[in-house]
Amino acid sequence: MQKVLPLSDFRWLALPPLLFLLLLVGLPLSRLLYEGGLAFSPALLSDAYLQWRLGWSLLQAAATCVLTLLLGLPLAWVLAHFEFRGRALLLRVLMLPFVMPTLVAGLGVLALFGPHGVSGLNLQDTPWLLLYGNLFYNLPLLIRAAVDGFDHVPASRLMVARTLGASRWRAFWRVEWPVVRPWLASALCLIFLYCFSGFGLALLLGGQRYATVEVEIYSLVAYELNLADAGALALLMLLLGAVIALLYALIERRLARPDKRSPPLRQPVQGWPQRLLLLACLLLLALFAAAPLLAVLLRALLADAAAWRVLLQDDTLLALGNTLRFSLLALLLATALGLLHGLAAQRSAGLRALMFLPFMVSPVCVAFGLLLAYPAYSATLALLVAAYALLAYPFVAKAVVSARDALPAALPNAARTLGASPWRVFWRVSLPLMRPALRRGMAFAAATAVGEFAVSLFLSRPEWLTLTTLIYQHLGRPGAANLEAALVLSSVLLLLALLAFMAIEWPEKTHARTS
Amino acid sequence: MLELRDLALAFAGRRVLDGLSLQVAAGETVALLGPSGEGKSSLLAVIAGLLRPQRGQVWLGGRDISRLPPEQRQLAMMFQDHALFPHLDAAANVAFGLQERGVPRAAARQRAEAALAAVGLAGRGAAACHQLSGGEQQRVALARALIGEPALFLLDEPFSSLDTHLKQQLIDDLRQRLSAMAVPTLLVTHDRHEAFALADRVAILQHGRLIQVGTPGEVLARPASAWVARFVGFDNVAADHAIPPAAFRLGDGQPLRTVKLVEPRVEGCRVVVAGDGGDWVLSLSARELATQPYPQRGGHLAVGVDRAALLRW
Repeated sequence: MQKVLPLSDFRWLALPPLLFLLLLVGLPLSRLLYEGGLAFSPALLSDAYLQWRLGWSLLQAAATCVLTLLLGLPLAWVLAHFEFRGRALLLRVLMLPFVMPTLVAGLGVLALFGPHGVSGLNLQDTPWLLLYGNLFYNLPLLIRAAVDGFDHVPASRLMVARTLGASRWRAFWRVEWPVVRPWLASALCLIFLYCFSGFGLALLLGGQRYATVEVEIYSLVAYELNLADAGALALLMLLLGAVIALLYALIERRLARPDKRSPPLRQPVQGWPQRLLLLACLLLLALFAAAPLLAVLLRALLADAAAWRVLLQDDTLLALGNTLRFSLLALLLATALGLLHGLAAQRSAGLRALMFLPFMVSPVCVAFGLLLAYPAYSATLALLVAAYALLAYPFVAKAVVSARDALPAALPNAARTLGASPWRVFWRVSLPLMRPALRRGMAFAAATAVGEFAVSLFLSRPEWLTLTTLIYQHLGRPGAANLEAALVLSSVLLLLALLAFMAIEWPEKTHARTS
Repeated sequence: MLELRDLALAFAGRRVLDGLSLQVAAGETVALLGPSGEGKSSLLAVIAGLLRPQRGQVWLGGRDISRLPPEQRQLAMMFQDHALFPHLDAAANVAFGLQERGVPRAAARQRAEAALAAVGLAGRGAAACHQLSGGEQQRVALARALIGEPALFLLDEPFSSLDTHLKQQLIDDLRQRLSAMAVPTLLVTHDRHEAFALADRVAILQHGRLIQVGTPGEVLARPASAWVARFVGFDNVAADHAIPPAAFRLGDGQPLRTVKLVEPRVEGCRVVVAGDGGDWVLSLSARELATQPYPQRGGHLAVGVDRAALLRW
């Protein structure tokens, strides 16, 4: 059946999320840019110090892209072409870094390669600390995308290529590479964006020299009260981010097509050369994706018994309660906004691109803008929860959009001819089929809220202490005891993220329901 | 009765339907036949209300239903890939429409089980759709379509995803069911065998227009153009006429012609000979082959044409 045009347009559903974006992003950023733009001068860009900051921000993002591609593509190729025990589980666990709060990852990197690190190698004040942290987050992302791409090459096509005389390498180059390329491009866009506008990792790992523009904006605002320079930098960040996000939305649109694929052909691992290859891949993967987390847990377990007493302190209980409370409220709001925006964005490239606006603008800029735009509400719970929801809801919206893209048009059409109104079609067909995706999106949203750091730093009040801000407080105080307390608290945060991860990756029951 | 009046539809400037009109009587089956991508499925979507035409009306039972949403049109539709809901079991799929029309869940389920039994799937109600074979899925889709007693039945290439043997069986089965129903039925297909096997009338669609409508016999006897003649399966089509198989005369008294190609078939063979003004393609049955030596490439075959039996347009 040909593609059927919509009878009813759901774009009006986007009104509430658009209003929300206007209030939470549009107005605050305009205010920020106005304050900054007034004092903007080209001289700022010729400042050697800021040039280095901006250059390094771009360079570390680009370097991360190159490194993830060089490391990730071969790894993905192996994971896509060989069958071995635990392969499916491994692909799922690859999502784990994605839900890890940046504070946990940052502490993990420090616990490994910081002063007195587990590895014995001190990389502090080198660029490698930040790059390693970037790889922890982004290598799994690229591998997942590439494996998805490889899985879209039907086994028959590869077999044809091989029987027509193509070697493994030629078959990769002529048959698989063209299919995988857009998948990689879309992942690399995201990776660049994440690294470029990253804050938490750069704050913890960058040190004096290798911090990014985001950290610079934070210090300008929080310590130097230099709003003009901060606004000018925010303007630059915003423009660069917008270009990349647009590119990403365009590539994603090309990828959006219903899944109809034959199961790919995977060969079992045979013989020592292949076993060694697989082992090498797994070790490499463990080094980048698992080692920091293990280091946090190890250091926490080896910590003094006294350090563990931090869990019983009033501060900790308060922070834990707040984290859960704020996250739950934010999740409710994010789910409603994500559903509305996701459903509305089905046929509109513009709405799809807008969906990524909260990813694109840095949390630091948003939080700073919110402070400027709504000084009267700066210490209200509503603003804090709204800011959390802003950062979390694109996950829900993205899940809804991709689930809707994967839904064959014949199913809603069949339901319509069977007498279901559009609303009933949504309730009885689309929603049940989207539920696994929705659940995953919500778990990502929850993990985002639980691990949120930048906005909490700006908008929080002492009595609104969250786990992340508490950890940062401990890190800011001198002494080994405080570091150990931070590690113990990070382990708690790690376990919370693990819970969210289980909710995401727990297999859905597959049997059909009776009605 | 279904009546389509002057329907027009264009996608991004490309005309898909171009002033199409057609009537289908109650109890009649019309097959809409045309090559892929000629707007057949779009026409069904327009009739079902899933697509809005730029112009024209759809009347059903003396009522203009052009402005009704799909769920109020009281029609049933079967889709190419069956479009079973993967999250529901077989009986819940069949009961879907009943529940939408207000039948309580338990009663709907009961009727669904009965409908499944009627298509030969007794006791399979609790099966998940992916556990069913292609033919079983098709029968679930059929039960789901017919349980609501539709006033119009639309079939969108319902056999295209099935293998040949199963297809024939299901076509025979469906023909019996259709004759028992007193509703207009519109079948879309690109397969002329399917169309001629099921339909009372055949409507041939080209470039968004119906270029010929008639019984299978009429269409085969008087194709409206060279394109139609080729499309309905004639091998020997010239600019202004076609030679139907029955026009060929074999054997004594006919001129000898050079055999250019011989291709064996399940029954008999297919032969290409140098005819008058071009090659002729003949299908020789086993019975015809028994009365003469088996044709050899480069050999000769005595064959002529009864000019009175030619089809002209």
